[in-house]
Amino acid sequence: MKFFAQSFSYDDPWSIVTLAFFLRYPNPYAAHVISCDVVSRSVSPEGSLLTTRLILKRGAMPRWFPKGIISRAETWVVEESEVDPVGRTVKCKTRNLDHVKVMQVEESVVFRSAPEGKTLQLTEARILSGFGWGLTKRIETHGLNRFKANVQRSREGVSLIVQLLRQSRLQPMALGVPEDAPVHSLPASIAIAADSGSDSAMPRAQNSWSRLKAWVRPPRNN
Amino acid sequence: MADSLSPECTPLKQQYDSCFNLWFEGYLEPAILPSAPDPQRTQRKAEEFQEKCGKVYAEYQKCIQSAVKRKGIESLLQQAREEHPLREPLPPTTPPSKESK
Repeated sequence: MKFFAQSFSYDDPWSIVTLAFFLRYPNPYAAHVISCDVVSRSVSPEGSLLTTRLILKRGAMPRWFPKGIISRAETWVVEESEVDPVGRTVKCKTRNLDHVKVMQVEESVVFRSAPEGKTLQLTEARILSGFGWGLTKRIETHGLNRFKANVQRSREGVSLIVQLLRQSRLQPMALGVPEDAPVHSLPASIAIAADSGSDSAMPRAQNSWSRLKAWVRPPRNN
Repeated sequence: MADSLSPECTPLKQQYDSCFNLWFEGYLEPAILPSAPDPQRTQRKAEEFQEKCGKVYAEYQKCIQSAVKRKGIESLLQQAREEHPLREPLPPTTPPSKESK
């Protein structure tokens, strides 16, 4: 079994990092995410938002891995999260549902509000293989190395979305504010920009908007 | 917004995501910060979510649950959620508004 732990600090407030974390798929650093669905969501009696998401990820087997054991290099991943807006904490646990004998990866991420408008991210992972055939250790080491690289990419993905959110909040609301929306409302703008396809509505941020739009809703049927 | 695991659910998923994202931003960061803690706020937000996104959520869940069954991952998912709950087991997903058939 291999363990991994790392902490990271974002220079942005908790609410924007959390929003970015939930909006992170798709992004250019997560091209391996095929689908992402909410299978359960509720607000607990204490007021926390509990979400279970089912995500399908594309993987790649290392060259040395025996052929013919895994027919499709895709994995179902379940992600359970709890957002506590009062305590300003997000807890999120992720693990793969299939190929667990080959390798089971359990990841735990916590986002906490930190002083001076920063956000602290703590990532922990446990990588376990029950494969045998003298490959267990090699698989776990490979899994750990991949995990380390992916943590970096995943953070870049979240940072990119944070950056786009930050940019959008500097823009005056060109689309009008929905009746009870927060003052700076990016998701509404995403929805509107993506639904109507009207780039002209956000002229000054056109470049980042059209990029974001493309990730939010990739062009189809072409 | 990422695609749904089943293409026929993608339009519902995107409709739901848009509704949720709008609600979520307000849930995370109220436009006016309360001067005192307000324990009722999140419950009010929950009701607001139900009112605004409850219908599309129920439709999306109906679609996704039949797709999960069709793909044979229902038991895997159920098992995972029982074995490794983040906290106590989540209540079963009943569509928020009971539809009469």
